[in-house]
Amino acid sequence: MSTPPAAVPRTTGTPRMRTRIAILAAAAIAAWLLPYGLDSYAIHVVDVILIFAILAVGLGLAMGIAGQVNLAQVAFFGVGAYATAILTTRAGLGFWVSAVLAVLATMAIGLVVGTPALRVQSHYLGIVTLGLALAFTSWVTNAEVSGGAEGLPGIPVPTLPGIDLTSEYLYYYLELFAFVVALGFGEFIVRTSLGRRMRAMRDDALAAGALGAEVPILRMTAFLLASVYGGVAGVLYAGLIQYVAPESFSIATMFLLLAMVIIGGRQSLVGCVVGAVSLALVREALVDHPTIAQIAYGSVVVLVVVFAPTGLAGLPSRIRDAVARRRGRRGVPARMTPFVPYEMSAAADPDAPAILRVQGVTKQFRGLKALDDVSLDVPAGEIRGVVGPNGSGKTTLFNVISGLYRPTSGRVEFRGRDMTAHAPYRLARAGMSRTFQNLRLFGALTVQENILVAIDRSHTAESWRYLLRPISVLRRDRDLHRRAREVIDRFGLTEFAELAPGALPYGTQRRVEIARAVAAAPALLLLDEPAAGLNGEEVRQLSEIVRSIRDSGVTVIVIEHNMGLVMSLCERVTVLAGGRVIAEGTPAQVARTPAVIEAYLGDSMGDLPEVSAT
Amino acid sequence: MQVFLQTIIGGVSLGAVYALVALGFSLVYRTMGLVNFAHGNVVTVGAYLASTLYLTSELPFALAMPIAIVLTGAIGLVIERVLRPLENRDFDLMLIGTIGFGIVLDALVIAIWGATGRAVPSPVPSPPLDVFGLRIRTYDLVVLAIAAAATILLVLFLSRTKRGAAMQAVAMDHEAATAIGIHVGRSNAIAFMIGGGLAALAGGLVGPLLYVSPALGGALGIKGFAAAILGGFGSIPGAIVGGLAIGILDAFTAGHFQGYSELVTFVVFTVIIMIRPTGVFGERTVNRA
Repeated sequence: MSTPPAAVPRTTGTPRMRTRIAILAAAAIAAWLLPYGLDSYAIHVVDVILIFAILAVGLGLAMGIAGQVNLAQVAFFGVGAYATAILTTRAGLGFWVSAVLAVLATMAIGLVVGTPALRVQSHYLGIVTLGLALAFTSWVTNAEVSGGAEGLPGIPVPTLPGIDLTSEYLYYYLELFAFVVALGFGEFIVRTSLGRRMRAMRDDALAAGALGAEVPILRMTAFLLASVYGGVAGVLYAGLIQYVAPESFSIATMFLLLAMVIIGGRQSLVGCVVGAVSLALVREALVDHPTIAQIAYGSVVVLVVVFAPTGLAGLPSRIRDAVARRRGRRGVPARMTPFVPYEMSAAADPDAPAILRVQGVTKQFRGLKALDDVSLDVPAGEIRGVVGPNGSGKTTLFNVISGLYRPTSGRVEFRGRDMTAHAPYRLARAGMSRTFQNLRLFGALTVQENILVAIDRSHTAESWRYLLRPISVLRRDRDLHRRAREVIDRFGLTEFAELAPGALPYGTQRRVEIARAVAAAPALLLLDEPAAGLNGEEVRQLSEIVRSIRDSGVTVIVIEHNMGLVMSLCERVTVLAGGRVIAEGTPAQVARTPAVIEAYLGDSMGDLPEVSAT
Repeated sequence: MQVFLQTIIGGVSLGAVYALVALGFSLVYRTMGLVNFAHGNVVTVGAYLASTLYLTSELPFALAMPIAIVLTGAIGLVIERVLRPLENRDFDLMLIGTIGFGIVLDALVIAIWGATGRAVPSPVPSPPLDVFGLRIRTYDLVVLAIAAAATILLVLFLSRTKRGAAMQAVAMDHEAATAIGIHVGRSNAIAFMIGGGLAALAGGLVGPLLYVSPALGGALGIKGFAAAILGGFGSIPGAIVGGLAIGILDAFTAGHFQGYSELVTFVVFTVIIMIRPTGVFGERTVNRA
């Protein structure tokens, strides 16, 4: 399949920035003046809408950004509201103390609900979170402390010095403040390191892990964030309505919330807000016909999913694309520029200890022995080739080395440490990086963001910085961008930096994947069939790139079927057949080994008369 | 001991219904790797259709059921057809699409039949049997017999007919199936249709056991799903074993925890999924990478 040359996007310069600031300022003024034009019922509706907007942003962070199907957002909302209610009415605590405790309680529940995400994903996660949400409603309907089916009335209105929050007009400003902080914080996350990692995990959890993203921690963080937003919304709801009852937190509310996020566009937080506001308004307009409203938004969800998966937020860019296509204006096709070689680092010490030591690794898939007692030593600074017929276990070997598979027996030592069956992200952080046979680029991220994910070595557990030291987060992110630029320029991908990898020609995608693997600054680089699908010139460039990477001090292991490339590039070659190492040596030695010839051509070839060139 | 056995008997007939719901989930899942979140709502529709035909139109139960099954089968076809563009492309979007259908069906049920429920009298009026001091309702036996017959028919269809074999092939590898000329879309459509039919069968049978209300399908759906997971998602014997297990678990938790029985069932189910996501008979890994 040929891909049309990708167009360079119009540069994002200052005029666009200025429009953005103008729109923000206009929105701020409108939000500030809004209550002056509303009657007391309308302001109540607006107050409720703002609460749903905060909930939707939280759900968008978990589902749209981190890809964690979370159908328990309504339970987070409920825990926040009920905890506030119980603490104020039953324990007699003040509103704000209760609010803080309620958010903490919601976070604890968030971690509990998120735990299944460590084991299951997608549909399973959806049903588990839905089940837990049902369990929550079942509990509050039955428990005495939560007032049973009748709910809990009499929650005190929060107090602020000098502001009378019993007025729903003034309550609006409290909510507006919470909403702006919530949305701003969400956007801050999405646009920096943590959000980028989450989006990478959403697009391809396997590749994200292989690049050092701590997938389990990221998943828990996603649920933690969703629960904080749910808890805050719940507290605000309790303070606004002053009464909680089970039906406010039912599955129907959950699905309404889901519809808001999907219709608005789950991958954009602003989209989630737009979805929440518009759906809430439609529901308000149809308040006397709730079933019609439900049929309407259910159908819209189906239509959006099929025809506009990016939701309302994705419409502007779709329209822009459609207009551009119709006009036939494509811009100048982007081109790959030549690779700029690395400077030679000190020549590798020939007596250097092996950087990778595979000892007696066996991998069994039920009846099939994919690897059978494979041992392999790779000294630092070498380019090692791994060849063998299809199905000989080459990729399985890579998967064992990089931690995707746990070997049935045997051990893998990396840089002198036993790293057998460590999680892929641990191996990545220890200095191992890989590419994949079938290209695993993060499809919804730009080329630059793909590289950024790899460069980023910060620990997700340090995300508390987002709260306490936001400036240092920003400063670090700027530094990451500068380094990503260097990698992109070196690999000749400058013109593709802002494009989505899916739209690029195949050869370019291959190069992006290598650039991404190298951006992680590995000590050992594993390349799985890097030349597959490349033309002759591209293969030549590849060989130059790999050699230069090695010269910069990186050990390279490459699986390849292109024998010309293997013979010219690799210093030593390991041959696998049927899951066993059948030969190892320099390319010339290996090519003469009878076992290798037999493995490639079949043993019947031995009986054939030798063809002599006369 | 008497109470223990009586509780098990009470759980088995509901368990058979859960098994039917689980079969519907599993059949669609094994064919296309999708969990149909609207399945529970189709069960509700089936329950209402069967009970309406039986009560209002005064058709005999044996005639009301097949009509309901055909109608919900048609609903299954519609869902599959609308979501077909997403097949094998984005499962998370398809999942949300089925939730969308669930929302619509839920509202339709309320619009057509109202928000209040109805009780359906047992179509088998004979008194309970007495076996060694245990009371067994005759209708429970009917439910078990019909569920068993439906399962056998389904297994025969999958193993003995060309169409069924084609569906098995799609389940194993849809690309290879396409390559040898199997119409994958049609195969998926049939899975959805049978799934819909099974939903009506479950809904129709459960009518006289429980109260038919708009909330019926939600509870049955999630328990049927739990049953499917417990047995191993996509496995037919797994669905049966899982259904009976959840039914019996349900009967015991209802006895011991009263109002909290749902809570306990869901928590048990979550713990099981954490420990063994592939279930008892499951072979396939959870993430079809």
